[in-house]
Formats: sequence, C-alpha cells, structure tokens
Amino acid sequence: MKWDFASVFDNTDALLVGAVGTLRIFAICLVLGLSLGLAVGLGRDARSRWLYIPATVFVEFFRNTPVLVQILWFYFALPILLPFSISPLTSASLGISLNSAAFSAEIFRGGIQSIERGQWDGARAMGMRWSQAMRRIILPQALKRMLPALTNRAIEIFKMSTLASAVAYVELLQQGKLIASLNYNPIEAYTAVAVIFFVILWPLVQFSYFMERRLRRDE
Amino acid sequence: MAYQWDFTPVLVNAPLLAQGLLNTLKVTGVALSCGLVLGLALALLRLSRRPWASMPAGFVIEVFRTTPPLVQLFWFFFALPMIVGIEMTPLMAAVVTFSIQSAAFFAEVFRAGILSIERGQWDGARAIGMNHGQALRRIVLPQAIKRMIPAFMERSIELMKTTTLVATISYADLLFAANEISQKTFRPLETYTVVALIYFTVIFLASLLVRRFELHLARSGESTVH
Repeated sequence: MKWDFASVFDNTDALLVGAVGTLRIFAICLVLGLSLGLAVGLGRDARSRWLYIPATVFVEFFRNTPVLVQILWFYFALPILLPFSISPLTSASLGISLNSAAFSAEIFRGGIQSIERGQWDGARAMGMRWSQAMRRIILPQALKRMLPALTNRAIEIFKMSTLASAVAYVELLQQGKLIASLNYNPIEAYTAVAVIFFVILWPLVQFSYFMERRLRRDE
Repeated sequence: MAYQWDFTPVLVNAPLLAQGLLNTLKVTGVALSCGLVLGLALALLRLSRRPWASMPAGFVIEVFRTTPPLVQLFWFFFALPMIVGIEMTPLMAAVVTFSIQSAAFFAEVFRAGILSIERGQWDGARAIGMNHGQALRRIVLPQAIKRMIPAFMERSIELMKTTTLVATISYADLLFAANEISQKTFRPLETYTVVALIYFTVIFLASLLVRRFELHLARSGESTVH
C-alpha cells in the first residue's frame, strides 16, 4: 500500500472552500451559542419563576439530546411546519448553536454564582442598578473564571461543525468525502482532513490548558 | 397553516425503533467497556517515566481528544480497511472509533485520579514491602476510582450522544431507524420528534441517576465533585 498525497494536494482548492465553510459555521455558532447561552444562564439564575422554568427546560432538553438528532430535526422535520424550506447551513447552525447555548448557559450561571455576595452589595451601595452591577462589576470578574470553560466550549463547537456534513453543508469533512469519492483516495483524503483539524485545534487546546493552569494558580 | 399530525405511521414502526435503540445501547456498552480498559492502559503508559512509553500514549490521547469524532469515524470506516486490507462493518468501525476515543478521554480521568492520591499512600505501600504494581492495584487505584466515578459517568452519557454519528455510516442505530421510517412513511416531523423524545428520555434519566449518585458520593466524602 503506497500513500500518495499528490491527489489531495491537487484538490487544495476544494479543501480551502471547505475550510471557509467550516470557519463560517463555527463563527455563527460561536456568536449565537454564547450570546444565547448568556441570556439563558441569566434566566437560570433569576428569582422569577417565569424566567427560571423555561430556561431550565431549555437547558435540560438541549443538553440531553444528541446534536445530530437536533440538526436532522431542524432539517427534515421543522420545514413541514414552516412555509419555507431550511438550508443545510441554517439547520446545522440552529442545532449546534442551541446545543452550545444550553452548555454555555451552565458555565455562565456557575461563573456568575461564583462571585461573592459582597460584590453585589458594594455595587448596590454605590447606587448601581441590577443591570449596571451585572455589566460593570459581576460579569467582568466572572468572565475571567469562565474563560477556560468557554474556550473548551469553542473547541467543542469547532468539532461539532463537522456534523453539518450530515445535511450536505459544504465544510472540510464534506469536501474530504468529495475528494475521496472522486479520486478513490479515502486514506489520503480523510487523513488530510484529520490533520487539518488537529493542526487548527491543537494550539487552541494547549491555550485552554495554559489558562486552566493560570486560573488555578491565581485563585 | 394546519398541518395534520399523525403519529400512527411511526407507532406502526415501533419494532424498528426498539431495535435501533437496542443497537445504540449495544455500541455504547461495548465502546464503554473497551474504552475503560484501554483508557487505564493509556493512562498508565502516559504516567510512565520512560519517554518511549509516555510520549506515544500522550500523542494518541491528544489526537483523539482534539480531532472531531465524525472525522475519526470516517477515517476508521473508509481509510483503515484499505490500509490493513480487511472488510470493515459499520459496527466494527463504530466500536473501534468510540472505544479509542473514549479511552483517550478516560485516560485523562484516570491520570487525574491517580495523581490526586497523596504521595503518602505510595510511600506507605512501599514501606510494607509492596512493589509498584501491587501498590497501584491494591492501594492507589481503589481510592482513585472512587473519586473518578462522577467524571466517568458524565463521559458515558457524552458517549451515548456521540454514538448517533454511526447513523452516517449506515449502522442501524436509533437515528438511522428514524431516517428509514421517515423516508418510508413521508412523516419526518412525527418520526424525528418521536426519536428526539426517545433520546431525551433515555439520556435525561441517565443524567438524573448520575446526579443522584454524585450527591450520594459527595455526602460520603468520596468524590471530587462538591
């Protein structure tokens, strides 16, 4: 068995298109997932039952179902209830973002609850409203503690983006499949895709280890 | 828009769903047991002082923790059979991929657990004449494993969710059964909704059990979770 990566290098264009697709869905899901996660996390922390119960149901539902099932549900099932069809990008982004929102909500909630009561009291004493205290005093401190966990979430989102290939969204793995089927070189094609993911994610993973160590030292 | 929900076509195919759920549990169970054994081996190699043992183990752990599971699955299903020249069934590819992948995660749990045991336990075991293997087996691991249980259980639930990926290489798990039924009955909305609810019920119950067990462990002071 001879390895021949020339057939993969001939298709660098296709892989580049895939990489752009991967980065696009990653960026969408990172922004949507984390901002929705913050909103849901605040809901989980709320004293009002009208916020707490829906936020909890959301978190439990999306944490306890597989992402691929969610993506396929949005792709095949949801359009039946809607007057328009849903693109592969939309359905995959919805599935991955909502799933990430549920997981990051728990990170936000944990981070916010880890800030001592005194910080709230101090902010109130200076005349800040709840939202001012949250934005200026609590969140900045909580963010520092949450950064390692949020970086891990980002890495997970990047890995999950490959699931979009199940609905034929053009990303790296999908392009790998295409190259493998056109050139009959699955070994080289899939190895190349795996190496690309490793090269992109490994520095991020090391960065998250570094931040975890630093946080442990600081606390 | 008035869509007429009709669950009967899905209910008629309940045996197919049951078989799918069974296959999902089968892949999860096999990958879990292989992953635990392999994970312990990887952790011990990783902790070894000899670089020729710890470096390859570290490499395997990093690669499988860092690359997307779906890429690994495709590699084992489409690429590996051509390298070693054997026919790979979807079940085999799934079991191999998820065993190694969960082994990589379990290895880090084992490693953290073993490292969390105080030096004095090793010294004590040595003092009463145990060699390294005996100290590990009789003194360190039994204490470490108790601390690792919550992390293991959470990882197992993650594994069950990850097994849905096998549907993409046509292994007849619960999600694959859903694809088939929805194509056969033209009822994707009902089918995928039912299947999502089945997954939710099974995984949510498992999560509840894990949480109760964690509380129990935390109360008896044997857990790293507070």
